[in-house]
Amino acid sequence: MPETKTKKPIITVWRVILGVIFLAGAYATYLRFVVGWSAATNLSDAQPWGMWVGVATLCGVGLSAGGFATAAAVYLLGMERYRPIARAAVLVAFLGYVSVCVGYAYELGLPWLFWHALIYWNPKSVLFDVMFCILAYTTVLTIEVSPAIVERLPFNGFKKTYMHWHHRLATAVVLAGVLLSSMHQSYLGGLFLIFRDKMYPLWYTPALTTMFYLSAIPAGLAMVIITLYLCNRSLGTKVDPKILKEVAWVISPMLILYFVWRMVDLVKHGGGPYLFKPTSEAAYFWLEMALFVFLPVFMLNNRWVMNRPEGVYWSSAVVIAGFITNRVNVSINALERATQANYIPKWPEMAVTVMLVTCAILAFRYAVIYLDILPKKAKSTRKWLANAGVAANA
Amino acid sequence: MATNKKALLIDITKCIGCQACAGACKEAHGVTGDPEPKLSETALTVVQDKNGKFVRKQCLHCEQPACGSACLVGAITKTAAGPVVYDKSKCVGCRYCMIACPHSVPRYEWSKLAPYMKKCDMCYDKRVSKGQPTACAEACPVGATIFGDRDEMLREARRRILDDPKYVPHIYGEREYGGASMLFLSDVEFEKLGFMIPPTEAPLPEVSKAALDEAPMVVLVGGTMLAGLYWITNRRREVLLAEAQKKTLKFPVGDEEERS
Repeated sequence: MPETKTKKPIITVWRVILGVIFLAGAYATYLRFVVGWSAATNLSDAQPWGMWVGVATLCGVGLSAGGFATAAAVYLLGMERYRPIARAAVLVAFLGYVSVCVGYAYELGLPWLFWHALIYWNPKSVLFDVMFCILAYTTVLTIEVSPAIVERLPFNGFKKTYMHWHHRLATAVVLAGVLLSSMHQSYLGGLFLIFRDKMYPLWYTPALTTMFYLSAIPAGLAMVIITLYLCNRSLGTKVDPKILKEVAWVISPMLILYFVWRMVDLVKHGGGPYLFKPTSEAAYFWLEMALFVFLPVFMLNNRWVMNRPEGVYWSSAVVIAGFITNRVNVSINALERATQANYIPKWPEMAVTVMLVTCAILAFRYAVIYLDILPKKAKSTRKWLANAGVAANA
Repeated sequence: MATNKKALLIDITKCIGCQACAGACKEAHGVTGDPEPKLSETALTVVQDKNGKFVRKQCLHCEQPACGSACLVGAITKTAAGPVVYDKSKCVGCRYCMIACPHSVPRYEWSKLAPYMKKCDMCYDKRVSKGQPTACAEACPVGATIFGDRDEMLREARRRILDDPKYVPHIYGEREYGGASMLFLSDVEFEKLGFMIPPTEAPLPEVSKAALDEAPMVVLVGGTMLAGLYWITNRRREVLLAEAQKKTLKFPVGDEEERS
């Protein structure tokens, strides 16, 4: 994370890193759009989808799941305790989706024709549904985060009208958002259903939709936790660590549910015999399980770890690492045996992905500094709760 | 099934590997160059040597193409005459068709800055729609590839299998993935020639359709449930508020404006 104080040397380690990331990203962008695919990627006819789909899209969307989960908890289920982090969670989701949309500019062969998707409909295509949900949900997220910007505008009349209508429509918007994101979190898994005969049995299941949904929520919540932990550390926000601990506490049963469901499903659909074969796929599978289930469940249930904020942070970080492993396995490793592509991303692919993530982090940082996203004083947390109504106190 | 649906019958036992089909295909699509060993953006059909057997590889023109159901803009469609055609003016370049195809046929113009998908179009525009046979069928000197009505081709294939015991009693493309417009006959198991043997005959689009069909239900049930839950929490909040107003408040309540 970049640091906060401005009264410091102009050249800092973080700024140098940022500079390198942006230079590399800019050069990668040049390679992709001016020189061509083969200079920028290792994609081929055998492996037409690579890191930009597997990491930038699948993980970007998945790690944004904390937005709808938190919004549902706070705005629909009345869990007022989590109100202080709701805005931040929704902002994380918004930036996640925006970077996915930008990432698609790199990923599509003809990005300037992206609007075709809006006029030529193919309802039989899962990708069509994914795209439609992403566009609709990005709109919903824009509406959800807009008050944070509008309330800073100097035009009082407009502000009042906007907030009035926003308040009236808020519940409907949140509800639509929860439905939309639930749908396409699952549909991202649905994308892979049609690769039935090419996917390695450890990952192919007709329940890929359910699996993607079940795994996205804990990963999304972990993303919210590490974001807020880093904000507390480097931006001086005052999010109650207890709240983060409570959110982390929810993750572990979700991971166990996912694991049990996944295993039952795997055996049911004939993946069982492949579990202990000496293949690279089995190794990837167990790595995924170790990072996404075993290690985090152990950490999240260990009192010594959970009693310190860094412990909560690192458990969440492991969850995210496991989640990314899962998505990369599904989208790249599960297909390699059938396609024989031996795909390893080229550096510009990685540079673009890192640049997109960095942009999102920077945007989040400035939003927290300049907008009312997170409580900045311990006192204001109480005011937030007070504003939310007496229910918070009950 | 339409009776005037066209198909190609490719008899692997007859093929002599002369590459005339590959050459004719290039010519018909305005591409120059020698026949290539693998499918590429310039080679839409190839003849591959698989353990001494010459096997043609190109788009199979499935009855229910996986690529067509995958394409988000509906640029790939199955025509009534049989060919699966690609409308490049709709394509956005997502390349979902390429992985969706169980036969791994579609190719991409990786070298171009405005790349499009490339695959065999069964000479639809220039020939088949005008009632002519495909370029490859016309060029084949030994009749290993013949063109005609699909029903007629199936009858011919069955006749050959009955007449000659060397054939494997299986017409590849009759039922695989719901059937295709390319039919293959062979005297060796198709599995050994690199053909994809699907676990069931169900066309791939049905696999994703099952997931898509759940959507309206999810929206309806999920929406009702969430709205119900919201109603309950909202009601509870109102009750609490009313009760709290009767007592003294613990701390002043600011404006009721929600932070959403």
